[in-house]
This record gives sequence, C-alpha cells and structure tokens, in this order.
Amino acid sequence: MLSNRMLLCLWALLGSMAAAQAQFPVTKQGRPFVNYTELGGLFGRVAYAVNTWNGSGDEQVDNKLSLTIQTFNGVQVCPRLAVGGVVAVDWYSAALLLPVGAGLRYDLTKPNDKNVRVFVSADAGYGLNWLNKSSTNNEVKGGLMVNPGIGMRLGKPGKGAFVLSLSYKRQAVQAQKPLQWNDISRDESRVYNRLAVRVGVMF
Amino acid sequence: MKKLIYFLCLLPLIWIDSSCTDQCTETRTFRQFTPVSLTTTQVRLGVGVDKARGMVNPGKLYTKDGYLFINELKQGIHVIDNRNPSAPKALAFISIPGNGDIAIRNNFLYADSYMDLVTFDISNLADIHEVSRSKNVFTQGQFDGGWWYYNAASNSDIISDQRVDYVTQTLKTNCEATPTATAGWRTDVMSFQFASVAKDASSTGSTNGTSGSMARFALYNDYLYAVGQSDMKLFTISKPAAPALSNTINMGWGIETIFPYKDKLFLGSQTGMLIYDNTNPAQPKQLSVFQHARRCDPVVVNDNTAYVTLRGGGGCGGASNQLDVVDITSLTNPKLLKSYPMRSPYGLGVDFPNLFVCEGAYGIKSFNAADPMQIDKNLQQYIEDVQAYDVIPLGGVSGQKTLLLIGRDGFYQYEYTSAGRLRLLSKLPVTRPSLT
Repeated sequence: MLSNRMLLCLWALLGSMAAAQAQFPVTKQGRPFVNYTELGGLFGRVAYAVNTWNGSGDEQVDNKLSLTIQTFNGVQVCPRLAVGGVVAVDWYSAALLLPVGAGLRYDLTKPNDKNVRVFVSADAGYGLNWLNKSSTNNEVKGGLMVNPGIGMRLGKPGKGAFVLSLSYKRQAVQAQKPLQWNDISRDESRVYNRLAVRVGVMF
Repeated sequence: MKKLIYFLCLLPLIWIDSSCTDQCTETRTFRQFTPVSLTTTQVRLGVGVDKARGMVNPGKLYTKDGYLFINELKQGIHVIDNRNPSAPKALAFISIPGNGDIAIRNNFLYADSYMDLVTFDISNLADIHEVSRSKNVFTQGQFDGGWWYYNAASNSDIISDQRVDYVTQTLKTNCEATPTATAGWRTDVMSFQFASVAKDASSTGSTNGTSGSMARFALYNDYLYAVGQSDMKLFTISKPAAPALSNTINMGWGIETIFPYKDKLFLGSQTGMLIYDNTNPAQPKQLSVFQHARRCDPVVVNDNTAYVTLRGGGGCGGASNQLDVVDITSLTNPKLLKSYPMRSPYGLGVDFPNLFVCEGAYGIKSFNAADPMQIDKNLQQYIEDVQAYDVIPLGGVSGQKTLLLIGRDGFYQYEYTSAGRLRLLSKLPVTRPSLT
C-alpha cells in the first residue's frame, strides 16, 4: 500500500517536472534565467537621545555598517527587463534578518555590444526573523523591506558579468524591550534606512 | 542628452546618502506616582451603595455562587450577576474608599478600606449595607504600585497615599537591543499589586467565594487571613458579622499574595514563596521559604507543583520575568524544576493540566502544564490583544470550564476546552482616560 502511494507520488513529481519544462522552455525561447549574487555593506547613521534623565536631550550620532548578502533569481521577460525573486541576509547589529521578496532588474540602455551597462533595480518584500537569535525579552519581529537602486554590469553581453550596485534599503522591524520596574509596556519600532553598496556577479 | 539622463538617474543617490539614518523609537508606558493625602473621616464616610457604573481601573476579581465582585482600585466593588456568563449584568456598585481586596463568607463580604476592615451584609443584593468595621487594623499597603501609610498611634487622621497615573513616552534610540539612556527613565520604584487566583479552603459547612491568584485575603475555617507588606493579620469570623483581629504574624518584608491549598498556605513575596502549615488555623507555622530572584508575584498550586510568576525590575538581570515551576513534594524543601522566560507575567491560574498566565499588556497564554519540564513547548493559545492581569479558571471551583479574566481594557469570560483553547463568551469594557 505504502509503496503504491510512493510510486504515485514519484509519478506525479516526474509528471509535474515534465509539465513545467513543457510550459517554461526558458532557455530555448530566449527568456533565460538570470541570477545576480551580491555581497556588500549597508551604510547608515543613527541619531538618538542621551542623558534623558537630566532633561538635557543631548543627541548622539553613530555610524552604522551591516553586512548584506543577496541573491536575485529571475527570468528575462523582455530584452531589458528581468523579473524574479530575491532572498537576502542582513546582519543588523541587533537583528539578523532574512528578507524575501520580489524584484526586477531593468536595463536603462537598449541591448548593445558595449561591455558596461547600467540598470535599475527594485525589490520589495518582508524581512523574516527566522535566523535571528535574541536575548530574553528582546525578540524581534520582521517587517516590510523595500530596496530600489541603480547598478552597473561589467562584462561581455550574453556572458556573465560583474555587478556593482548602489541602492537604498528600508527595513522595518518591531522589537521587544525588557520591562523595567514600573513599566506596563515597552516596545521599539525600528526603521533601518541604509545605503546598500554591493559587488557581485550575474549570469 | 543621454549622458544628462544618466546623470539625472544618479541624483537620487545623493538623497539616499543624506537620508540613510535609522529611525528607532521606543514607546514605553509606565506608572507615575503623585503623593496625595486624605483623612480617615473622609474614608469612613465614603462608604455607600450606588447604582451600577462602568469599570475604569479594575483590580482583583472575586466570585461566589455565580456572582462577580470586581474591585475598582481604591474606589469600591462592582457587583455583577454572572449566572449567565455570556451576558453578565451589572447590579450595583459598593463605594469603599481604599478598597483592594474582597472575601466572602456566606452572606458577608469583607473588604479593606485603607486602614479598616469593613463587613457588608450581602444577603439581599438590593440592600447591601455595612454591618461592622474593624478600625485601624492595617497600617500600610499598596495599590497598583502606589503606597499608602497610616499611623494610628500618632493621633493624626491623615492617610498618605500615592495616585498612580499611566504615562506613555517615546524616545529615539540607537536601534540596539541594549538599553542606552533608558536608565534615566526610572522613577520611584514600586512593585505592582493585583489579584491572583486562590480557592478559599474551608472545612466547615460555610460557603466561601473564590479569589484570584493575586489576592491578599483568604478564608479558612473561622479565620480571615489578610496579608500585608510584612505581616499576616488573622481575623476571627466565628461571628461572621463582626470579624475581630485575633493575631498578627510577622513574615518579613514584601508579602504580596496568599494562596490557601489544602491545609497549607502559600504566600508569594518579593523574595520568594513562603509555605505555611495551617493545621492550626489560629497559628500558621512557617515550613519553608523558596527563595529566588528579587521579585515574586503570585503562586498557584496543583498537587505537588507550585507555579510562581516573577516579574522583575531592572536590578534582577535578564531572566527577571519568568514562570517558575516548583516541586513541593517535600513542603519543607521545595525544589525548582524549571524556569521559563515570560514577557510581563502577572496573575496566573491552574486547572490542571491547563495553566493560564497573564502577560499584562501583552495578553494571555494558555499552556498545557502536564509535563513541567516542557511547558514552553506546550503553548496552546496566545491571545495578544487583551490586557491580562488576573485570571480565575472556574473548572476547579464549579466544574464550569469558564475562565474569568480581568485586565486594564476589560473583564473577559472565556470558555476553555480540555485542549486549552479559549472561546470568548462575553466582555465588559473598561473605559479608562488615557494619559500621555
């Protein structure tokens, strides 16, 4: 009985794969699969109040830098536009997030034989907290992520290329804060506004 | 021309560069204390019965024979007909200045009123009236973290009290989990006091009500126990209409709640859990102290297991908000089985294997506590959109699987299944003026 079921599953799996191939003969119809894999830094600042106890309201500004890794996998739907999904890992200092979402890459120039091409990118999604490990009562919940930007591909047309990109990344996070003596509730709402500078490869 | 377009495309980068500043805002609601004073005459003349009114600042819960008695902090008691939990009906409001606790034996309701213990005849709910008053039996206490003191010996009739306001502040932070400037936010340090769930034990033919886990009053045989900050007052209620102070037992600082279970008394204190042997109700004897972190809230007990919630202050370190499960097989030597981190634990209730833990402004959790070592893995339901401060699961009282829940935003009644799932039956709203 069990083996019959397994055979059925296997058959269904093979069938669906064949069907998928039939539906999306991606490479053959000139809609190639594209991949951008990039590594970089999220640069930003934070300004916050210090010395609140004496009411002076002094502001302190710190610089922030977080590591980011990102991979975009998509389909070249037309010669200039690729659409796909994006998965990233962002190491903010108090949250390790896994943003997943949809994105596009659009070439600003018509296809030509130059080795340098400029493109714009737009990604949006949700930052998941699956990889995050927090200390007690500092749990974080992810939030919306948007990441529009501009980039450059360096390489022969139709071949793999190096990618250099600059973008703006906005990531919202809700965080808990441990309660103190007479607190009823204490929570933090974070919006990371960062300049993402990435280098990587694409094919 | 093309080059110009490229240049224009690069312009947003300048904006990005200048606007890349993380925006992190911490929102915190905390209690603020303001000293107030009032006179004993004011307090004593303030007692009376009014028509039913809405809840504003509810405190402890008490239930007896299908009727609910909900304390309005420092104001009095709401009397509610709850024989049909789906449609509770407010009957009356008993005005009692400085009231925080309730206990009911037969037809008599005992209530504190700052320094006095007041007895009401509630045999006819349409005609509730004061029958006696034990004067100057209490000297201090706290309501929602605000302290009051009264010194009867000084011949002064002034009671010093603190008004508690809720204040919400927002502050820009550095987006790190570690607190930076927040230490400066601490104001006077007070603990919070609310009601918790204990079933009043009674071996006599009388009928008692049921209180929450955060109660300071407990009934046992012919005695009413009232725990204060540092002592326990025993009132003889052999004449139920006229309780008389018979004994005061010194207990050390920080007693917060009392939970009678079988012939034992379990006291939640700020330093731990105290276990008293109550075989001689006139003279309870201390068996042991289970000491733990600095702050300790209510205790509930099921068989050989005690559940204690601890809500910590800043000085208690990271694991200060927690649920402790304590093995009390040996009452003279209680052992910690396991601690579970919690967000903001207040009252709790157990109808084994269901364990309900109030998380203050963060809702209520329903656990299956059958395996004391795996309670966190057996979260059956978490309702986040209620403010839960105390619960009474009626399963162990009347057999009715109803959970009474009181919080800052309302009084809720849930029906719970054996799997610990909660289904809302009714809600009485709280209208509280918000302060910012």
